[in-house]
Amino acid sequence: MKKICAILVLVLISTLLVSAGQKEYGKKITLKEKTKISTILQSPEKFVGKKVLVTGTILAVCDKRGCWMELSSDKEAQKIKIKVKDGEIVFPMTGIGKKALVEGEVQKIFMSKEDAIKQGKHEAEERKTKFDPNSVKGDVTYYQIKGLGAVITD
Amino acid sequence: MKRWRRWLRAIHRDIGYILTGLTVIYSISGIAVNHADEWNPNYVIEKSTTVLKLDNKDLSSTQSIVDAIMSKAVDNEKLKNSFRPDSNTIKIFTEKHNINYDLSSGELTKEEIKARPILKASNFLHLNAPKRVWTYVADTFALGLIFLAVSGLFMVKGRNGMKWRGTWFTIAGILIPLLFLLLYYF
Repeated sequence: MKKICAILVLVLISTLLVSAGQKEYGKKITLKEKTKISTILQSPEKFVGKKVLVTGTILAVCDKRGCWMELSSDKEAQKIKIKVKDGEIVFPMTGIGKKALVEGEVQKIFMSKEDAIKQGKHEAEERKTKFDPNSVKGDVTYYQIKGLGAVITD
Repeated sequence: MKRWRRWLRAIHRDIGYILTGLTVIYSISGIAVNHADEWNPNYVIEKSTTVLKLDNKDLSSTQSIVDAIMSKAVDNEKLKNSFRPDSNTIKIFTEKHNINYDLSSGELTKEEIKARPILKASNFLHLNAPKRVWTYVADTFALGLIFLAVSGLFMVKGRNGMKWRGTWFTIAGILIPLLFLLLYYF
């Protein structure tokens, strides 16, 4: 019995040591070559539907369900949203400010003006910020990455 | 007492013991997640806002702004990362805080995010974040609860059992969800 307890403690400690420093989410990352977020944002149409591996600092995380996060680009004033299916991957809020490596598929999202206003209101409620519906001038097209797997590093 | 009823009580009792821990975890997490619109069931988010005016020499570059904020508004914390999402905003991430600085107003918002240790772990299991084998553990737990509910109906015989009291109470229990379905669903 004592031996079993000792083995269990050893397994627990080694698991904690292995997981310290970085944590994996979702599927294993398969791509080796990274694509700069600025390269994707410069000509996003070229990447739509393609799998990419990107890295950046986590700027924000969905505080309700951890179902999206925003990654900083390699260039100032640029960021990209990583969206996952609710419950499939849960990004931790404590990941904000840490580096993330994300593999996923580039998506083009089209929203009518009405939907963009609804979305803006919803996101503002989530982030407890203000939203001005007049800031939406018309239909909106934006690009995001459908996250498949991620590694967050301290 | 009939033999089958004695067996039923013994199995009901032992499965009940086994499922106690999981039932408590799922119930606590259930209450926490039920109120997700009113609070964050996983994290405590503490925010404080101050105004920090920077000198012109501090505003010469993104790096100088970050350095100035770190020296004037942060106590003994290492800088992890910083980013300028737009020309008017600087985001600074330290060991404990996420800082948002508005260059035009000088408004500095410090945010500290702390996990709620027990609740976050309970929600992690309740919402099946681990997936894999846990899915089957959770399925088995659900089947165990069904067994407890159904076997519980036959634990007691006579008027306190399904011959009178048990039947009426069971019907009342079934009517509760039906009533809310009538009110909100149909």
